[in-house]
Amino acid sequence: MVSCQAVANGTTQPRRADTDDKRKLIDSVDCFIFDCDGVIWRGDSVIDGVPETLDMLRAMGKRLVFVTNNSTKSRAGYLGKFTGLGLNVNAEEIYSSSYAAAAYLESIDFKKKVYVIGESGILEELDLKGIQHLGGPEDAEKVVALKKGEYMEHDEDVGAVVVGFDRHINYYKIQYATLCIRENPGCLFIATNMDAVTHLTDAQEWAGNGSMVGAIAGSTKREPITVGKPAEFMLDNIAKTFGLKRQQICMVGDRLDTDILFGKNGGLTTCLVLSGVTDEETLLSPENSVHPDYYMSQLSELLAVKEAAKVAA
Amino acid sequence: MTVVAADAAVSQVDAAAAAASTRPRCSTEDMLQLLQDYDCWVFDLDGTIWRGNEVIEGVLEALELLRKLGKKVLFMTNNSMKSRGSYLDKCLQDDIYCSSYSAAAYLDSIGFDRSKKAYVVGERGIMQELAAVGIESFGGPDDNEKRASFSSEMLHDTQVGAVVCGVDPNLSYYKVQYASMCLLLNPGCLFIATNTDARGHFTPNLEWAGAGATVGAIKGVVERDPIVTGKPSPFLMQDIAAKHNVQPAKSIMVGDRLDTDILWGLNTGMATLLVMTGVTDEQLLVAQRGSSNGVKPHFVMDSFGDLRRVAQQALQQQK
Repeated sequence: MVSCQAVANGTTQPRRADTDDKRKLIDSVDCFIFDCDGVIWRGDSVIDGVPETLDMLRAMGKRLVFVTNNSTKSRAGYLGKFTGLGLNVNAEEIYSSSYAAAAYLESIDFKKKVYVIGESGILEELDLKGIQHLGGPEDAEKVVALKKGEYMEHDEDVGAVVVGFDRHINYYKIQYATLCIRENPGCLFIATNMDAVTHLTDAQEWAGNGSMVGAIAGSTKREPITVGKPAEFMLDNIAKTFGLKRQQICMVGDRLDTDILFGKNGGLTTCLVLSGVTDEETLLSPENSVHPDYYMSQLSELLAVKEAAKVAA
Repeated sequence: MTVVAADAAVSQVDAAAAAASTRPRCSTEDMLQLLQDYDCWVFDLDGTIWRGNEVIEGVLEALELLRKLGKKVLFMTNNSMKSRGSYLDKCLQDDIYCSSYSAAAYLDSIGFDRSKKAYVVGERGIMQELAAVGIESFGGPDDNEKRASFSSEMLHDTQVGAVVCGVDPNLSYYKVQYASMCLLLNPGCLFIATNTDARGHFTPNLEWAGAGATVGAIKGVVERDPIVTGKPSPFLMQDIAAKHNVQPAKSIMVGDRLDTDILWGLNTGMATLLVMTGVTDEQLLVAQRGSSNGVKPHFVMDSFGDLRRVAQQALQQQK
């Protein structure tokens, strides 16, 4: 592995990790936060070597946390995906943005109702926190006809609108959310995440939650509180829950603008893997200013540490 | 998009404005002065002339007064749902400029390649206006029932050279995805918004999410701003000025929204009259007037209909 040093113009380039770097990385942190898509799995296939790498890190006493900006499933829902792929994980180690939304509301002692734009994952997490909700999938087929006499009532007890990825976004939902935010004093506008695109299938990119949130921002002229990457909340919540300081944590992800920026803004060590959406060219391009501390082709490269230890023994 | 330079002869506007801006509302004298100073009156529709399908009280008499005084009366709406032709059945005799027309006029003005097509996220009016300038379009209400299937690859037409958006009461994931694919994958594909109004009085008693929601949804994916052709963009002023021989310094824009109607008037060098029958409330008006970079109308009336109170005096003065 070649480690990249400072280039001619004097700026430091991101560093492709060699075996020493990997050992140093593992020794220096107590916790690894992993983005899922492009790091642990791609679509519905686990990336090779990942199960063994996770087992190795656990054996070395490391805390593991898995974050995903995808809000369609609850933590329990994601657990099914992990175990189905042969990964040993507990539900409490999974931080989906659906969970983050519920955790945020809990953290501010929220007592009112929530209008949800999104899929079942958000509703399940709200149920687990005992937070009342309306909307979600049951509003999927509602239609608005803008004709004479048309009116829309809305529940005045809605104190927050939570917007997550929604394949059934429609004008009814947008309008209902708009009324709550505009008419209910103090109503919060919360976004699970702002990703412009999402990789639902391997074949192409799909419009992400950035579009659902964008619609509501466009009709209310308000910006949301974001609870998923790269906003601080999820990281704060993880650090607090596991009693960790920022310096004890490494963020491993495949996206510069969410994962790595998330980690850097949070004071974490950061490691980019090239097994997802970012390629080496993009990372090293002069247009990119987000530099992870380390980068490697894929997570399983960390196994080199184990191999090196075996050889030394 | 460059702002049309304000006419040098705006001293008329400044003098009247200086006086009226100290008053929360136009006095009778202010109203008579307006009728003296401005030959061309441009009106917003929703929230100014009507709300949904109900004409605001007194407005028809006030318009009649303007006509009796020989004023030119034009209407300019950001509502993109209809084409210009269909407004004639609301019995407005004078020229109507709607945002659907503005989008078509814009594409025409830049010589849009007629071998390309437009994908519309919005109502039929946009498609009709595009057809009137010879631009082929698809989508719009014809895509209302379409749903994205995630089990197969979604395809898109590589010949789409512009995505044109307006308010869409049938917005869906399919439409947002289709529009986004055109904008991200077709080189040079234009992102056109008839307007970005957050909400509108599409029915008399409620504000409904407007084109701002459609644009926001697509912008959230493609991460770029559209070219806005309706208010407050000054684009249509060139069209209006040419056709009606309008001088901005002798014209006044009447509307209920600060960030579109009034801003359009300010951008094009006209006098501006805000009415309180639409989306702007007292709180917003006071805040804007009090802020150094707020949008400040020259004149304010509770309703344009109030102008009918000076009808007798105005007609006397004319003699």
